[in-house]
Amino acid sequence: MSGATEANDPRQRLNRCLAPQRWWLRGATLLAMIGVVLLIAQSWLLATIFHHWLLLWQGRESPGHPTVWLAGLAICMVLRPFLHAGREWLSRQASLRARDALRSQLLTQLGHLGPVRRQFGSDGALATQVLEQVDALDGYVSRYRVQSLLAVLVPCLIAAVVAFYSPLAAGLMLMTAPLVPLFMILVGRAAAGASQQQFVALARMGGRFLDLVRGMATLQRMGATDQAETKVAQASDAYRGRTMRVLRLAFLSSAVLEFFAALAIALVALYLGLGLLGLLPWAKAEVPVPYQGALFILLLAPEFYAPLRQLGTDYHARAEAIGAMQALTPLLEADTWQPQEAPLPPVARNVESFTVECNELSVRGEGGRLRLAPLNLTLAAGERVLVQGESGVGKSSLLHALLGFSAYQGSLEAKGCELAQWPRATWQRQLGYLSQQPPIQSGSIADNLRLAAPDKTDQELIEVLTLVGLWPILLRGNGLATQLGERGQGLSGGQLQRLGLAQLLLRDAALWLFDEPTAHLDPDAAWQLNALIGKLSRGRSVLIVSHESAGLEWVDRQIELSSKEVMTCCD
Amino acid sequence: MLRLNKTPSVEQPPTIRLRDLLLLRRGGWSLAFLLGAATLLAVIGLLAISGWFITAAAVAGTMTATAFGFDYFRPAALIRLCAIVRTAGRYGERLASHDAALGLLKDLRCRLFMALGKKPLLQAASSPSHHGTANAMHRLVTDIDQLDQVVLRALLPWGWAGLMVVVVMAGLYWLSGTLMWAALPGVLLAWLGLPLLALWRGIDQARQSAELAERRRVALIEPLAAITSLVLWGRWPEMAQRVKKWDADYLAHQERQQLLASLTTALQQVALGAAIVSVLWQAEALLAASHLTVPMLLAAVLAILALGEILAPLTHSFLALGASLAARNRLNALSEGAPRAQAAIEEVEITPPSWQLNVSQLTARLPGALVGPQRINLALKSGEILCLRGPSGCGKSTLLQVLAGELLPLSGECCLNGYPIEQWSMHNAVGYLPQQWDLFDMSLAENLRLGARHAGDSELWSVLDDLVLGTWARGLPQGLETPLGEYGAAVSGGQARRIALGRVLLARRPILLLDEPLAGLDAVTRRHVVTSLVRRAQHGILVISSHVPLELPESQVRTLYMQEDGRPRRFPPVPACLEAL
Repeated sequence: MSGATEANDPRQRLNRCLAPQRWWLRGATLLAMIGVVLLIAQSWLLATIFHHWLLLWQGRESPGHPTVWLAGLAICMVLRPFLHAGREWLSRQASLRARDALRSQLLTQLGHLGPVRRQFGSDGALATQVLEQVDALDGYVSRYRVQSLLAVLVPCLIAAVVAFYSPLAAGLMLMTAPLVPLFMILVGRAAAGASQQQFVALARMGGRFLDLVRGMATLQRMGATDQAETKVAQASDAYRGRTMRVLRLAFLSSAVLEFFAALAIALVALYLGLGLLGLLPWAKAEVPVPYQGALFILLLAPEFYAPLRQLGTDYHARAEAIGAMQALTPLLEADTWQPQEAPLPPVARNVESFTVECNELSVRGEGGRLRLAPLNLTLAAGERVLVQGESGVGKSSLLHALLGFSAYQGSLEAKGCELAQWPRATWQRQLGYLSQQPPIQSGSIADNLRLAAPDKTDQELIEVLTLVGLWPILLRGNGLATQLGERGQGLSGGQLQRLGLAQLLLRDAALWLFDEPTAHLDPDAAWQLNALIGKLSRGRSVLIVSHESAGLEWVDRQIELSSKEVMTCCD
Repeated sequence: MLRLNKTPSVEQPPTIRLRDLLLLRRGGWSLAFLLGAATLLAVIGLLAISGWFITAAAVAGTMTATAFGFDYFRPAALIRLCAIVRTAGRYGERLASHDAALGLLKDLRCRLFMALGKKPLLQAASSPSHHGTANAMHRLVTDIDQLDQVVLRALLPWGWAGLMVVVVMAGLYWLSGTLMWAALPGVLLAWLGLPLLALWRGIDQARQSAELAERRRVALIEPLAAITSLVLWGRWPEMAQRVKKWDADYLAHQERQQLLASLTTALQQVALGAAIVSVLWQAEALLAASHLTVPMLLAAVLAILALGEILAPLTHSFLALGASLAARNRLNALSEGAPRAQAAIEEVEITPPSWQLNVSQLTARLPGALVGPQRINLALKSGEILCLRGPSGCGKSTLLQVLAGELLPLSGECCLNGYPIEQWSMHNAVGYLPQQWDLFDMSLAENLRLGARHAGDSELWSVLDDLVLGTWARGLPQGLETPLGEYGAAVSGGQARRIALGRVLLARRPILLLDEPLAGLDAVTRRHVVTSLVRRAQHGILVISSHVPLELPESQVRTLYMQEDGRPRRFPPVPACLEAL
């Protein structure tokens, strides 16, 4: 994406993400405004009824039909709560849809990134982004968004109605109104700052607790749990002290807002009451607002401030959403590679090896940083090559480009056709890939193998398991039905890699790419796995990136990548 | 020095009970309750008195004679007082309740920590792993933080609502019994009927929320780890759809709860509206009969109106309550199995002069593992050193775990000085360094002193020197006080392993079981460390598992070779790379 600088602003991104939901939000705003109109009607009816009774009570003639008014009041009181429920439902729908769309976008993005996703965080962190961070938008969409409109519209509407009866009371309310945005900002700043600090402090204290609980077995072995408990208590107390200091300030600013609301109501009540008594210093023996109007204004006064107070409560939702959007931005803006697919003659699935040719191939990362310096490499059909080099020299970037997950400069041809012209899925079908983390899920051995090749028979599965030397071990369990735990728990690291190899064999791809397949294995297991790869990959093209070379004596060629331009090759 | 358990431990009550949440911080909660009650009284008072005031003023104003005699100072002062109490009270209540909540969380953390610390390390072969996965640990922290919500969002609001309803209804009764009876059905429905209905319908759903969220997370995180291969195989879109299905399930579940809360709130407000209309309906006759004054009637109506805001949180309380109950259950399940008070265990203290470790026909498996040590026989006595060798995955670590008394064997025997190992309180005799050791986010000295809390600096330096860490540590600007960071992030893997080893050595346990203590060390360092280990363990038993030979004379060390399937092997195997030739 180009020219994305202003689009990087999380607020704009948030707006764009909500644009398709605007009708839901408009509907919610409309229902809320109808609710306010009903509230005004309800207040007017109540004031009218009491005005009527006051006159009756004083034995004065009074026109009107209290039964009709009462019926009107009842209708208002029934409709208003349901309008509110409707508004909440519409806002929630907007939130659900917006989050769903965003989440789909993120999942697709992850599929385009493949192994390149590592640049954006660990899998745990990415999962948190896709799930929790997206859900963090909920409060903003379903509450704050509509409320921020209401906080302007409702006071204006109420002030207009009040002005009809008493411009002075409306003026009193509106006079405090400019104070409100001011305090909103203050409250908002303080609240955002407070919640930020509190979040950091909470994370730190949670981290300390987690650190100690995780090491509980060690503490028990050392007989040191009591020492650690003192640490837990100290950390909790420190956190409590710090949080309370922050809260004292944060609550104070919202208390000021609250105070204004309460004071304004009290002032309005006093003004109206003294006016009714004819005791106002500037209007002696005069009644500026008659009783009906006075009661009407009094009933509406709290509602003038209510949306603002609610907005203050919801303010943190905005900070939370912006924070979440900020966290999501790098992943959303990630420069995923879209090959310019040209129609190719249909490629039959075959195992026939092919030549891969890199000409001045280079890969650039974030901000144009060179990840892989221009490289010339020809991988002949059936050739097996070991790639080595210091970390950071671009070994993985080379694999990512070959896998079709990353954009490249220069030329990368396979079967005499530029990779960027290949339909991505067609190209990727010809590849086998294994990194240090084999793609094993919890479930049975058969489930895992069929993930790679859905239509293989049990017999075929057993054949490949025998080839990789796992079958005798599995027979001690439940054979093909042997259950593996999370991340293949139950098998050792070396055994899991061999299961990964079995998946590759089932796919029958012509080009195998390995990214440090033995990185976390002990020397013996690494040697065995490397030898096994050699045995099984005969007749295929192989590019293996590895620090080790023990057990890799079978490769045809060894390449040392360096950050300099031209690569040194040796046999 | 050593304890022998004569009686097995007994069931114990759950670590966290609901009433503890209230009782642990009784003072703080009471203060918060009082301040909150005063605030709400002021909220009702402000509305009711204002209404009464302007109506009474209107009455007085029409009769100019009485207008000047009307005492407006007292109501005016009351109105101002209510405005101030409302603001100050709410501020005070929020501070008091947050202070109590934070205090409660501290108490709970400490209590849970101790309960987890008492949980035996011994693990039956069938049970899941000891302290759960990293994910479960993370949930533990969030679960604790959830518990204060029981008080903040359920108990306190219910308490306040009850009090305010009683106050308002008493006020109505004082005005006129008829009015009270007219309002009662609506108010009861709004206060008890509808919120209890929501509680009954919603609490189980709210309990399941965390579970569904967890399942959604697992559904994403597992395929995410394998995403590259899944994309190559064309299976990722399918997996993404599955994630979306779990996500939709979770969100639909949330939506059901929200809808329930939202609808009950609407009905609750309708019920209160009905109470008001019914009061007004009855009032007409009462006013006509002069049993009631208009100002008082308005005050009563406004008071009922004010109840709306106070009762609204009740219909949402099931969300917090359900989530907290589920959190409490998870926490209790996590700390289950901790032995009861120490009194139930009869202990014999003995300090044997020498040690004998006998293992016969021992077979063991970690939960879910396919391979483990099979039919192992061993006899070791004080002063002997055993080295465990074998390919990875053959069960060396499992064997050490059994010897440390942390895993029950499937069959065979493992005895220390003639008693089965699980009968010993092992942790004063055995220094066990497992494959996964922990460094804590404390200083280097504090980490080491977890092994021996009263060790002086010279003792720490001597162990660091023995493990070839002395020069490195002296070069650190803060020396022994250097913080190691979370998971020992500030030191390299090899250093971290040796610091953990130093901690075990400082504890001076007679039996040392060390899992791969030499991994990642160069030959010179390795030799130095082995010499120190031999010297420090000369009066006890030392068992080391290692990928590399110990380079000690054969007279000094015995070696147990294990095959890939976990059985012992009589002769050292031909190295794999030679075998291939």
